[in-house]
Amino acid sequence: MSAVLDLVLYLALAIHLGLLAVCVWRVWRGENVIDRLLGADVFATLVMAVLVLVALLTLNSLYIDVALALAALGFIGTIALAKYIADQQIF
Amino acid sequence: MRYLWVMISLLPVYLALTANLEVSNLIVGALLTLFVAVLLPPMQRSINVARLPGALLALLQYIIVLMIELIRSGLQVARIVLSPSLPIRPGIIAIPSGTNSELATALSAHAISVTPGELVVEIDDQGVMYTHCLDASQPEEARLFAQRQRHDLLRRIIQ
Amino acid sequence: MQPILELIAILAVIGGTAFSITGVLGLVRLPDVYTRLHATGKVGVFGVVLLLIAALLLTPLGLGKGLVLIVLLLIGGPVTAHALASAAYRIRIPLKHALRDDLAETSEPEP
Repeated sequence: MSAVLDLVLYLALAIHLGLLAVCVWRVWRGENVIDRLLGADVFATLVMAVLVLVALLTLNSLYIDVALALAALGFIGTIALAKYIADQQIF
Repeated sequence: MRYLWVMISLLPVYLALTANLEVSNLIVGALLTLFVAVLLPPMQRSINVARLPGALLALLQYIIVLMIELIRSGLQVARIVLSPSLPIRPGIIAIPSGTNSELATALSAHAISVTPGELVVEIDDQGVMYTHCLDASQPEEARLFAQRQRHDLLRRIIQ
Repeated sequence: MQPILELIAILAVIGGTAFSITGVLGLVRLPDVYTRLHATGKVGVFGVVLLLIAALLLTPLGLGKGLVLIVLLLIGGPVTAHALASAAYRIRIPLKHALRDDLAETSEPEP
């Protein structure tokens, strides 16, 4: 059973890395600025997924802490950038 | 007293994050949550202790409804994206929130963003929510009825 | 007990990966920013949360942290989607194939 779990985890890790490449392509060749920001937001979310997968592979809950910090920072960052783009000022 | 409610609601989060139930950690958590409670602006509404169990029950029901809607919305988006013809008819539709309270409008905007294929784009001063829908061809009555249900449930939580 | 937990974890990882794939597929396939936001919201809400459920089952120490992260994702996902949609409408990114636009009618008189 554990071998199957490891296989599934490595496959999921490979798929997520491929999806990260797609997001980088969306940020590079976006139609407009919000499209690129959306690509960056999905990139942060997928990095969180990769961190959770690494936590599962190593059975170490420390990586979940890193994912928590990334979730908080990515959330604030995306909202601040969206507000800056809409209003040309942050506060 | 006013600080106590904030502390009671924040302390479980701190304890969950640190995963440590020793007395010293409890004291540090209490001091930290007190600091946060002092920094926050004072609450506008007062909490009625007699109504608290009913409100918590309504909150639980609301969370269950949101979870069901969330799973339905995930399956609907997956079906749309995976079908070869992309069956979308997008549009922006105005849905009045039916309330003057800012908190109730914000909560129903969050609930709408969770329901299948709907996303709030803008809210105006009268509390009308301009909602982007993946399928704008549906009848208007269904949306208004869903909003009335959400609004009734929300009013049982906050009064 | 351990094999059952591992089976649930395997199913959750497969489900989460499937939702991540549909989300990024939607990011590439759908026509404009507003419809893409519907698809990408599901990456955070389903992809990461299902993976986290698997992680909660197998790494017992991370229980509290994982639950806080799940709540943060479920509350923050729609808020991010709304912030991006609102910013997109304010810099006047057009809707594609739109059936109707109630917001344009009300905001047109404004200079």
